[in-house]
Amino acid sequence: MKILKKGTLQVCTHLPYKPFQFRDSSGHIVGFDVDLIELVAKRLKLKQETVDVDWNQVTSGAAFKASKCDLGMGGMTITAERAKSILISEPYFNATQAMLVKKGSAYKSLADLKGKKLGAQSDTTGLKYAQDHAKQYGYTIINFDDFSIEVNAVKAGTIDAAINDNGVLYSFAKDSPTTTVAVEFNTGEKYGFAAKRDDANATKLMNMLNQEITKSRSDGEYKKIYQKWFGTVPGNVNK
Amino acid sequence: MSTTGAAARRHLSPRKRARRIRFVQYAVLVLVVVLAATLANWKQIGDVFFRPSMIRTTLSQGVGHALLNTVIYTAGAFVFGLVVGTVLALMRLSEVLPYRWLATAYIEFFRGLPAIVVFLVFSLLPLAFTNFSIPFDPYGTVWLALGMVGSAYIAETIRAGILGVPRGQTEAARSLGMPPGLAMRKVVLPQAFRIVLPPLTNELILMIKDSSLVYIVGVASNQYELTKFGRELSNSNANVTPLVVAGFFYLLITLPLTVVVRRMERAAARSR
Repeated sequence: MKILKKGTLQVCTHLPYKPFQFRDSSGHIVGFDVDLIELVAKRLKLKQETVDVDWNQVTSGAAFKASKCDLGMGGMTITAERAKSILISEPYFNATQAMLVKKGSAYKSLADLKGKKLGAQSDTTGLKYAQDHAKQYGYTIINFDDFSIEVNAVKAGTIDAAINDNGVLYSFAKDSPTTTVAVEFNTGEKYGFAAKRDDANATKLMNMLNQEITKSRSDGEYKKIYQKWFGTVPGNVNK
Repeated sequence: MSTTGAAARRHLSPRKRARRIRFVQYAVLVLVVVLAATLANWKQIGDVFFRPSMIRTTLSQGVGHALLNTVIYTAGAFVFGLVVGTVLALMRLSEVLPYRWLATAYIEFFRGLPAIVVFLVFSLLPLAFTNFSIPFDPYGTVWLALGMVGSAYIAETIRAGILGVPRGQTEAARSLGMPPGLAMRKVVLPQAFRIVLPPLTNELILMIKDSSLVYIVGVASNQYELTKFGRELSNSNANVTPLVVAGFFYLLITLPLTVVVRRMERAAARSR
């Protein structure tokens, strides 16, 4: 199999998207996606290298056509539209919505929030989900523009719960042990890795990546990586 | 040749020269307006900023309530700012050194800090003091944050007003046997406020616009003020018209305010 740069597996992404890929305090690119790609890099005895590009270069496939990298990552939601321009891996992550609460709180689901305040971030899937169920459960939606303020408001107790993408909430709860993710809501969004479409070489590499992900799910490696970045084990939806 | 031109100009009478200058000013104005009118893509402008269907949507989806919230946020903050600002101004003029220090530190701190940071800190205050909550959330938080920033500016304005009252006024009051506190309250402060009425109006107008920062603390939809209201409607419709309409609603507060204050100024001038 051919690789663009000898001895190196080049992976395009757009930094940062914590905890999927971001620069840690020592300057290394780390994250959930990085660790999963590392499985295939290890098998091929290649050194993984991150290439930071415009995000739409990954989703449109332009980065692959321009031979900038062998693979693409970035917590990319799988859509039929994207599948037309790039080759997409098997789903490796169920991007559900989740609810963050203070640890020890009695709120286990949206149904427990009657008359309470639920934070949501402007222009997100989470806000839409909250709005769709507001009448049913009788909570008040508090609208935040910034993720950091939304989750810290839970910590401060000025709101009772917050809804957002499960990945970022787990990552926050891991850093702030006074908070916890109470429940996930399956919205059917799944993340996949990207590669060049209609290319025998890329297809071969992608197959190998799919095999590694499947293998990691059965031998416990996936669980270990998940635990490392989200501070919890994946729910049934991620199996 | 340039010399003849300069000579000719020198021969113009002052009145003619003034007329010529005025003509140039008008010509520039007309030119700018004509250029703007012809070069601008009016169809695009109309569609993006003033789409009629979006104007209707904005007007029918509670812009009035957002306007009311803007007024409530600002009014509370201004009252708070005025009271604290007056106290700070008096502290800055105090003979007690620590008071002067405290007031100066407060003013410099809150005048220099971006209002958005103050909002942020107050909204997350329970992180520092567990179980502490500012009453009338989120109105109380906004009144406090916006009022504290405003009071720093207002204090300096009022201090200037107090210093603008002639010394003779204090001396006359004191010679009538008024104690210093009473002289300040009954004689100096009323005159000081009369002097600073125009700059105080400025502070109020700035505060009205700063109330657009309320979004940072996190608000429910019935607590939205004009900007947040316009932004959200704009985002959900991918068109800027609602935000522009909401922006024009600020004029609905500031223009009448200017008229009222001008009346007050005139009344104050007459009563002098």
